[in-house]
Amino acid sequence: MNNKNLLCLFLAASLFFILPSAYAATQPSVSSTPEDNATQIRDRLITNIASRVAQLKLVEKRGIIGKVNEVANTQITITDSQNNIRFIDVDELTKFSNPATKGAFGISDITKNSTVGILGLYNKDSRRILARFIDVISAPAIIHGGISEINNVDYTLKITTQDGRQMVADIENLTRTYSYTQKDGLLRAGFSKIKENSSIIVIGVLNKTEENRLTATRVMFFPEIPLNSK
Amino acid sequence: MKKEKLILSVIAVVFGLLVAGCGLYFFRAAKTNPNANTKTISFTSPTPTSPPSISLKLNQPKDEEVVSSKSLVVSGKTQGNAIVVIVTDSSQDVVTPSSDGEFSTTVDLDEGQNTLEITAIAPNGESVSDKMTVTFSQEEF
Repeated sequence: MNNKNLLCLFLAASLFFILPSAYAATQPSVSSTPEDNATQIRDRLITNIASRVAQLKLVEKRGIIGKVNEVANTQITITDSQNNIRFIDVDELTKFSNPATKGAFGISDITKNSTVGILGLYNKDSRRILARFIDVISAPAIIHGGISEINNVDYTLKITTQDGRQMVADIENLTRTYSYTQKDGLLRAGFSKIKENSSIIVIGVLNKTEENRLTATRVMFFPEIPLNSK
Repeated sequence: MKKEKLILSVIAVVFGLLVAGCGLYFFRAAKTNPNANTKTISFTSPTPTSPPSISLKLNQPKDEEVVSSKSLVVSGKTQGNAIVVIVTDSSQDVVTPSSDGEFSTTVDLDEGQNTLEITAIAPNGESVSDKMTVTFSQEEF
């Protein structure tokens, strides 16, 4: 009998150092009091409400501009102004318009490479926009750089952009030209006032045949700010 | 008899510690990757480039924002001696920031999508731009 007790003591002491942590980890906490149940229900409600709030914030209104890559029955793929590919979902509530078209205009009339403005609901989770309005638009091109050459015969400006591209801007009769100085601010000016080696911003329409040419609708030049040397 | 109990208890404690120590050792050894399977990856630091002398940080608006008011506040920060040019689809404005570089102005939007290009130009001709789309719409959906 004594030996049995000693053996039990031996085994109990051995297991004492091995099992406690595993035992503690595997033991479920048992709670069955009404207070605990109420706490569990409250926690579940809080979780559900938080989840619902997150869902509500998951969708927001957004408007983007992009060039059409592909048109399908219920989806349009575009490249936005930051060169990201964007997926646009279209449903029966989506309205289409094109100022150049007088009759009915639908998804089948949207062509590849046309520029579209999209207003819809952006889903932060799927990163897709469910379009409510899709309009074919003509977004202006904006370039800025330094004037490297002035052609007084053809009324053109050669502009070196900050990324080193050479662009030619055609100045037309309808082009509005502005000059900015610290003293006078922004004033209307003529083509003759434009000086070489000064900074310029040109807003216009890109030429469809020549990639590095645009027709200027507005020109802002800065005679006090030199052409960037970098 | 008491002496026997004490000796056996001490042996049991030592044995228990030994087993626990061995278990812990093998557990850690199993988690450690052998040296033969480890791969040393060295990162080369990027070539340092000269930081741009001009910066532009816009506080508002945000790209792709939809607003229900025709007037839009454009604000941000650049360097104090720069000028800030704001070009929209139909208007242009030049703003002179305060000495600490803060600027704020209001521009009018057209109905629908508007392209805004905000350019800060330093006196030496260096410039930095931020382009964004802001939509003016009062449609409910």
